[in-house]
Amino acid sequence: MPPTTFPRSAAEIAVRLRAVVATAASPGWPGRLLYALAGLPIAVLSVAFYFALVGSVVAVIYGIGIVLILAVLAGIRGFAGLERRLARSLLLVDIPDGERVRRLPGVVTRVRRLVMSAGTWRAVGWLGVRVLLGVATLGIIFFGAVAVGGLGFEADWNLLSTLPLLALMAVLTVGTLVLLDLVVRLAAAVAPRLLGAGAEQQIAALQQSSRRLADRNRLARDLHDTIGHALTASLLQATAARRTLTPAGDRPLQPEFARQALEHIETNTRAALAELDRVLSVLRAEDDGRDAAPFAAPSLADLDDLLAGLRDGGLPVALVVDGEVDDVPPGVQELAYRVVQEGTTNVLRHAGTPLTVAQVVRDGAVLVVRVCNERASQLDSRPGPGGGRGLAGLRERTAAAGGTLSAEPTPSGGFELAVTLPLSGAA
Amino acid sequence: MTLRLLLVDDDVLVRSGLRVILESEPDLTVVGDAGTGREALDVAARTDPDVVLMDVRMPDMDGIAATAQLVARDPRRPRVLVLTTFEDDDYLFRSLQAGASGFALKRSDPDELVDAIRVVARGTSLVLPDLTRRLIASHAPSRARGAAALPELTVREADVLRLVAGGLSNAEIATELFLSRETVKTHVSSVLLKLRARDRTQAVIAAYESGFMTA
Repeated sequence: MPPTTFPRSAAEIAVRLRAVVATAASPGWPGRLLYALAGLPIAVLSVAFYFALVGSVVAVIYGIGIVLILAVLAGIRGFAGLERRLARSLLLVDIPDGERVRRLPGVVTRVRRLVMSAGTWRAVGWLGVRVLLGVATLGIIFFGAVAVGGLGFEADWNLLSTLPLLALMAVLTVGTLVLLDLVVRLAAAVAPRLLGAGAEQQIAALQQSSRRLADRNRLARDLHDTIGHALTASLLQATAARRTLTPAGDRPLQPEFARQALEHIETNTRAALAELDRVLSVLRAEDDGRDAAPFAAPSLADLDDLLAGLRDGGLPVALVVDGEVDDVPPGVQELAYRVVQEGTTNVLRHAGTPLTVAQVVRDGAVLVVRVCNERASQLDSRPGPGGGRGLAGLRERTAAAGGTLSAEPTPSGGFELAVTLPLSGAA
Repeated sequence: MTLRLLLVDDDVLVRSGLRVILESEPDLTVVGDAGTGREALDVAARTDPDVVLMDVRMPDMDGIAATAQLVARDPRRPRVLVLTTFEDDDYLFRSLQAGASGFALKRSDPDELVDAIRVVARGTSLVLPDLTRRLIASHAPSRARGAAALPELTVREADVLRLVAGGLSNAEIATELFLSRETVKTHVSSVLLKLRARDRTQAVIAAYESGFMTA
């Protein structure tokens, strides 16, 4: 126990007050008592909501407009949100968030969900529970007070009866509190059912979070494959270059190797930075939006951004799209995007910054994606056997989608990655 | 004695960097390199290296499959040292299971890397003993049949195996058990023979998988 001192400043007083409030709101009986007492005004509010709902229904019958009902329903949903937070902080019950109607796109969708959502009507039901709880709380407090007060004023207080009477009053008080606590516990048991998310919503949330986890894993794998790989190669080249410039013992100086190593480090780092940019933009998008959309799979429409980033990185690259590609299935679009991404990254990695063309052609029931570059812009760049690890993964995914992949040098000394994807393929 | 090395990695830059780094050591010589697991098998057959530095993820046969094939071909040589970018537990354990003698991170200091190669070639202790032991202990599915699952070991051999699995080198075991290094070496050899383990790493895996050692 710290020694009690007199608070010296307003800030100190504020801190102490906050501590007192925090204790009251903490789990255990103070929180529950607070919840019981808060139940009285809330019950009154609930009754008001009911009247508003019935009143607006009557108003609709008289033709004033359906907007009123919607406003009341929205108010009830909002109120249910507050109730959720109150129950969480005072009773420490775990109540999953319901659907966020306000976050849905489009007014019509929002209105429809507002009226159709089971959550709305469960919230209306909760108001009823609140009224009943309020009445019970009021009754218990009233009878408890009457009983204790009656003993205090009406009983025959004398030397002999004082002790038993005091004991009786204490028992009555404790009994009243226990009953109140029972009511609060009842509320805590009912609240998750009426205020929480429905089963189908919980399943949807679970699916979304697992999808997000998968996205994160994919991102981690991408990071490992691209940036981790580029950094490792750069590190080894740098270490080797240092050794060739300061050779041990009788080893010869190899400035040519060092020069080439620096060139490799340069291109590797450039490609890694382009990839870092992409990953960070995905992460930032997630921070802004919070919901699923930012992690949505990239589509052909995102190619412009991808190539713009590469152009900033020094790669002269053009995009050619032939044919109608808007109705290409999302899975195929994503795979096509990955092809361009992998192809251009490999150009940077293996050939430096030669002229490069990314081509997407819709030809009947197939989509052909090609990334083709001119002769390498730097010496001693040779495409790795079968390309990078990313290419191996791409080959697998292409095969799984029923497509074909070829990656080979062109007669003119460049390199071409070509992937043919059936539009029916489930990528 | 010069150690003959084979470099296997799908990135030509990693290979050329490693080659320069390793060749600057007087006792190491790179006799070949390969970009895929399949290529590694060919080059290994041609060049007869002492130690193969093996990348894990490669197109056209990964390092795990290539290691298994090398071991199947000849359990005595070459030894395989797995090189990885990150400490990806699952891959590492699977490559040890496939018969690799140890692993090292590509980003480790050149001296550490060179040291790991020498340790693998000598076979007198584990590479990265703590890491390896932890990896094996957490991944080896103990069949919980107790020491009975292992072939009959003498008391001394069991002691030695316990210390080997603890990551101690021959010299350290000699100090621990008040034996000469030669005696320890004999015990280790007979343990390896009884367990049919090609090296200490495999013996440690056997010790954990049989339940002789528990995590």
